[in-house]
Amino acid sequence: MRFSRTPLTLGLPLLALVWALVLAGLGLGWASPNLDLKQRLAQERFGPQAAQTVAAWRSMMEQARTQPVERQLQMVNNFFNRRIVFALDPTVWGQADYWATPLEFMGRASGDCEDYSIAKYVTLLLLGVPNEQMRLIYVRARTAGALTEAHMVLGFFETPLAEPLILDNLITSVRPASSRPDLTPLFSFNSEGLWVAGQTQQVASSTARLSRWRDVLERMSREGL
Amino acid sequence: MSLVKQLWLAIIVVMAIAFGGSLIVNVLSARAYLQQQLQIKNIDNATSLALALTQLDKDPMTVELLVSAQFDAGHYRFIRIVSPTGETLVERVFEGEVVGAPSWFAQLIPLEAEPGRAQVQDGWRQFGTVVLASNEQFAYKNLWQGTLDLLLWFVLGALFTGLLGSYALRVITRPLGAVVQQAQAISERRFLTQPEPRTPELRAVSRAMNDMAGRIQAMFADESTRLEALSKRVNLDPVTGLANREHFLSYLREALSGEQFGSAGTLVLVRLAHLNELNAKFGHQRADQLLRALGSVLQGCDQENPGQRSGRIKGGEFAIVCPTLASPTEAAQLLYERLWRNWLPDWEPEFPDLFHLAAVGYVRPQSLPDLLTRADQALALARTKGPNRWHADEREDAGQFSLPAERWRTLLTEAVHGGRLSLAFYPVVQRDPQQPLHQEGMIRLRLGSEGQLLSAGDFMPMAASLNLTAPIDLGVVQLALEHLRQVSGDVAVNLSAETIADFGFRNQLVQLLQGFAPLCPRLLFEVPEYGVYKQFDAFCDLVRSLKALGCRVGIEYFGQQFASNGKLAGLGLDYIKVHPSFVRGIGQNPGNQEFLRGLCTMAHALGITVIAQGVESADDLPLLAQLGFDGATGPGVTGD
Repeated sequence: MRFSRTPLTLGLPLLALVWALVLAGLGLGWASPNLDLKQRLAQERFGPQAAQTVAAWRSMMEQARTQPVERQLQMVNNFFNRRIVFALDPTVWGQADYWATPLEFMGRASGDCEDYSIAKYVTLLLLGVPNEQMRLIYVRARTAGALTEAHMVLGFFETPLAEPLILDNLITSVRPASSRPDLTPLFSFNSEGLWVAGQTQQVASSTARLSRWRDVLERMSREGL
Repeated sequence: MSLVKQLWLAIIVVMAIAFGGSLIVNVLSARAYLQQQLQIKNIDNATSLALALTQLDKDPMTVELLVSAQFDAGHYRFIRIVSPTGETLVERVFEGEVVGAPSWFAQLIPLEAEPGRAQVQDGWRQFGTVVLASNEQFAYKNLWQGTLDLLLWFVLGALFTGLLGSYALRVITRPLGAVVQQAQAISERRFLTQPEPRTPELRAVSRAMNDMAGRIQAMFADESTRLEALSKRVNLDPVTGLANREHFLSYLREALSGEQFGSAGTLVLVRLAHLNELNAKFGHQRADQLLRALGSVLQGCDQENPGQRSGRIKGGEFAIVCPTLASPTEAAQLLYERLWRNWLPDWEPEFPDLFHLAAVGYVRPQSLPDLLTRADQALALARTKGPNRWHADEREDAGQFSLPAERWRTLLTEAVHGGRLSLAFYPVVQRDPQQPLHQEGMIRLRLGSEGQLLSAGDFMPMAASLNLTAPIDLGVVQLALEHLRQVSGDVAVNLSAETIADFGFRNQLVQLLQGFAPLCPRLLFEVPEYGVYKQFDAFCDLVRSLKALGCRVGIEYFGQQFASNGKLAGLGLDYIKVHPSFVRGIGQNPGNQEFLRGLCTMAHALGITVIAQGVESADDLPLLAQLGFDGATGPGVTGD
């Protein structure tokens, strides 16, 4: 961080202004997600099948909105686990590792564990589940044949000190962590400190895309979330 | 504010905007960059600490150690671990005082980076949140150092540009200076032409001013020529080109009463004894030729002796006044020898009895009729000597104070060092005699203790031959300055024709006047016309140096050498005093009235004040004022 290597960007103030306008728009978008836009984008980019999926996703959310949290968790978990086919990134995206936004995820109707977890996380956020009650958790999963593989699940913490409920794409039901001996948690994160509700500055800074997590958050916000 | 100052100011403002603006932009962009880097560092460090903690046992000692290790080895403002319920589990805060930049700078350009946050898990359970913030002081230090560096470069750049700019300004404004000088000269009514500068805009201005100056100069030259022709017609004899009777007598009267020249002089008469027979014998044309030849010989002689003037006072009678020759014999010999050599040989063979020549001396005060009578008597005596002979009437009292050269030297040297010199003041009045325009200080030399006073004409020729005019003139200026300190009003002093070309004198004069700068605007210098045209360039230099000091400069005894007056347009002269020979008897001379009216008009157009010299009666004053004169001086004018 030597000063002399500082980029002397004369257009910086202008850039900042443009960003501020973009961010204002994004902030609004987050506050009241533009689901119509999302649906239209799905139609344009992934065809009528994708639009249908998004429409179904919207009606599922309409139904879930009035339900208690446990029910919401189940509905969201079921929606994605049933609708989406598990596939690895190289197959779906032609890349070794790609974090898809919920729109892309629903558009392709396939994805891997991160994509499931992210889509569930975002959907629950939209349903009003507080951010601090949710964690995306890296876990080590023991599958059949005593193999272990890298996996990601979404954890829901009823209280800060509680045992989490796990939303996983490997099994259909939402279970407490203690009933998942096949999973060993390694690390957890959410968008706290990155994307405080209404304050989107961090995610939008020009370095945001250097991080996979912040990258996907930013792409999401462009898609109307 | 002068143009150069304005341009300088413009350069400074442009520099300040350009460099200041780019300094601000640079500092701000550096700040944004540093802020971003701090932000990323905060996030990444928080994540890696959380990652490490998640993998370890959560016994308090281990957690504390890990946090301490991270804190001690890194650069943090604080590291904190907060439990899910909000209580602080571990905290490390930087206590030391690291000052990277002055506090006002940190306040002016704050770095705002959000602390990094990351979750720590204990198995499935939440253990806490890592919150950490990097120490910004090193970033402030970088920012401050970088700002100083930039500022230094910008100051150097601004100085360099300023130097370059001032050089460019000098190059640009150099021709402007010449144009401004010309404009100032024109406003002082000095119509000079200048070489045109290369800058197109200035060239147009300069060309316009040159055109105007040229046209005005031409106009004055035309007017000058017209006036000269008029003056010739009125005052000169058409055949010989010598002064006519009226003008000559007026000039002679001035020599007999004024004090331009010494008080003793000589009048020479040349009479062609038989003009009618000449006409009869040669015919009108050849007789005129003879007269013209005589006229040109006499004129040639006039030009060699200052003050000498010839006139045709009757058909065959010529008179020459030699104010600088006190000895009639000497004057007679001089002229007789001239005629004998240059004129007589052409005509004598055909007409043996051509002329007689007589010379009589005079000493002021001298009445004109007496002098003419004596001259007639002398001529009669010459006739008795035979054809083409001369007679000089030596008077016993002619050289009443003729002293040996050694005595003169002592006297004049004493005059320079001692108190022998004094000034006699004569008023130059406008219409109201109570309000003189200025007092003219005439030099007086006290001969001995008994108190006989000599005027300039009596001793200055001797001073000139002894090379003493310069110190005497300086003495006069000193006297005038002393007088100015004691009384109010302006004082004019005369400078000798001989001294104005003396470079050393000019320097001494300027030095002397610089010591009395407040008095200079009240001091006037005048130089006789023949002195001006004898050393015109020296006079121009003198005018320039005196006017730079605020003094005024004029020409006295003006009008005799009119042909050269076209040159006056470029001088910036303040006043002229018109020769008494034009002013005397002005009431009866309509021709000279017209001439003087024209002269006044032209002089006024050049911003020159015109003063009549040798006014004999206060009755002439209204007429003179009507002709355009601004002031008058002479025996008829008194301050009382």
